[in-house]
Amino acid sequence: MAHAAALEIRHLNKQYIVDNQPMPVLENIDLSINPGEFISVVGSSGCGKSTLLRLIIGLEKEYQGEIRVDGQPIVGTSLERGIVFQEHRLFPWLTVEQNIAVSLLNANQSSKSKHDAVHAHIEMVGLKGFENAWPGQLSGGMSQRVAIARALVSRPEILLLDEPFGALDALTRSHLQRELQTILRQEGITAIMVTHDVEEAVYLGDRIVVMEPRPGRIKRVVDVPLARPRDRGSYAFAAIKADVMADFSEVIAPPEPAPPPTHGLSPSWRFSW
Amino acid sequence: MPAAKHRQQQPLPSLRALAWRRRAAKLDYWLWPWLLPLIILGLWWLGGRQQWLGSQVLPSPGEVLDSLTELLASGELQRDVLISLERVLEGFLLGSALGLALGAAMGLSERASDYLYPLVRLIAYVPLLGWLPLLMLAFGIGETLKAVLVAQAALLPVALNTYNGIRAVPPHYVEVGRIYGFSRRQALWRIILPAAFPMVWSSIRYGLTKSWLALVVVELLASSEGLGFLMVDSRQLYRLDAMLVAVVSIGVVGFVLDQVLAMIEKRILRWRRAGFAS
Repeated sequence: MAHAAALEIRHLNKQYIVDNQPMPVLENIDLSINPGEFISVVGSSGCGKSTLLRLIIGLEKEYQGEIRVDGQPIVGTSLERGIVFQEHRLFPWLTVEQNIAVSLLNANQSSKSKHDAVHAHIEMVGLKGFENAWPGQLSGGMSQRVAIARALVSRPEILLLDEPFGALDALTRSHLQRELQTILRQEGITAIMVTHDVEEAVYLGDRIVVMEPRPGRIKRVVDVPLARPRDRGSYAFAAIKADVMADFSEVIAPPEPAPPPTHGLSPSWRFSW
Repeated sequence: MPAAKHRQQQPLPSLRALAWRRRAAKLDYWLWPWLLPLIILGLWWLGGRQQWLGSQVLPSPGEVLDSLTELLASGELQRDVLISLERVLEGFLLGSALGLALGAAMGLSERASDYLYPLVRLIAYVPLLGWLPLLMLAFGIGETLKAVLVAQAALLPVALNTYNGIRAVPPHYVEVGRIYGFSRRQALWRIILPAAFPMVWSSIRYGLTKSWLALVVVELLASSEGLGFLMVDSRQLYRLDAMLVAVVSIGVVGFVLDQVLAMIEKRILRWRRAGFAS
């Protein structure tokens, strides 16, 4: 079992410069996460929850405040922190096996132990037999399994999940939520999941961090004192879900920016004759 | 009942009918591409037979075939093909290697693209033959001239597409490399190059075709051997049958060169085929 890390966020502020004007994205975030804890972060779009994950993983360098893992301030990215994005981000030119091995490229291990770790994780996410498949041959759910295996194979102490099941259909999503829970329990690591699916947040989280937008702030933190595996149909589950949902009922979220107009013909466009 | 009636009107096709349909589809696949060339060949043959044009102006297919066997028997055609091939490969390898280096430099370094890209774009708008007088002054009309022109024909498309291919690499992929602690070198070899490869390779294919066309043009103008020379020489001797042999050979060699690269591409890009065709 990998060591689970504690995460300490103190007075975290982040802003982007837009047209020479500072635009605050995150304002005064304080959060401490215990080793092995599962934190769900929910919020409407624009509340900076993905930015928060990018800061913790180490992809964004400009910020004010402190992010400490086991007391040590983070410096850039590290194999001790793994991440799964909403898009699976697998390299289409590598097979499943090679894609997972990507995260061990710079790990200090013998190639034998790397190979074993990759295969153990392929089995863990239930993709035995698909080692040599190309990502283009996999369904969305299978691709996301590969992405989870890739994030876990380097034995991180913290796993970050950025709306990992957001693009999947409802059945696959609930199936993967259950499996993720089993896997994380085996690994015993700390996890932070960003989502806008309140049910998912309640199902998986030990605590739920509710964020509000513009600039992104923590509105409140909700405990989920339910035994696992959780029953989505139970009264207690529904009560917590309704409680969190209430935070979003009053504000009507501003409309999402429209997708940019596409120019020209779609690549599949062709005469049929 | 209307449903039953409907079913009666449109019975399911029998297995035999399906097999025929599949055979017909296969025939379609093989027949259509050949239809137009065969008609042209037929007209040509008919024209020669009916003397629509004098055989001095348009030799019949039979004469061209005779000329082909003659040129093959004397070894002249093989020699010219080999010489042209050697020249094109030499120039193309030089040009595409330089193009790759130039495109990669522009794609990877902001400064290199600031300094070089506008000039490269500008040069790309000057037709190949526009450089010929200048290059003739600089290099004479020997082998160097041919190598330089052929190289230049491949260099520009390869450089521009390598640049664009690298620019188009999704930043998402590069971030994955950063997350797993890739060095710049690892990111270049394991992420940027494979991601840009399809675009780069198609420009290499295009570059080879351009090189081949450029070579034939230079051989037309300044050479004493090679397929382009065979063409211009036959024309001057009024041997249009031999000239047509040269024309066809140029087309065939160009096609084969491109097919070789297409086969390599299929092999390297099997992940793409697997992704879309299965």
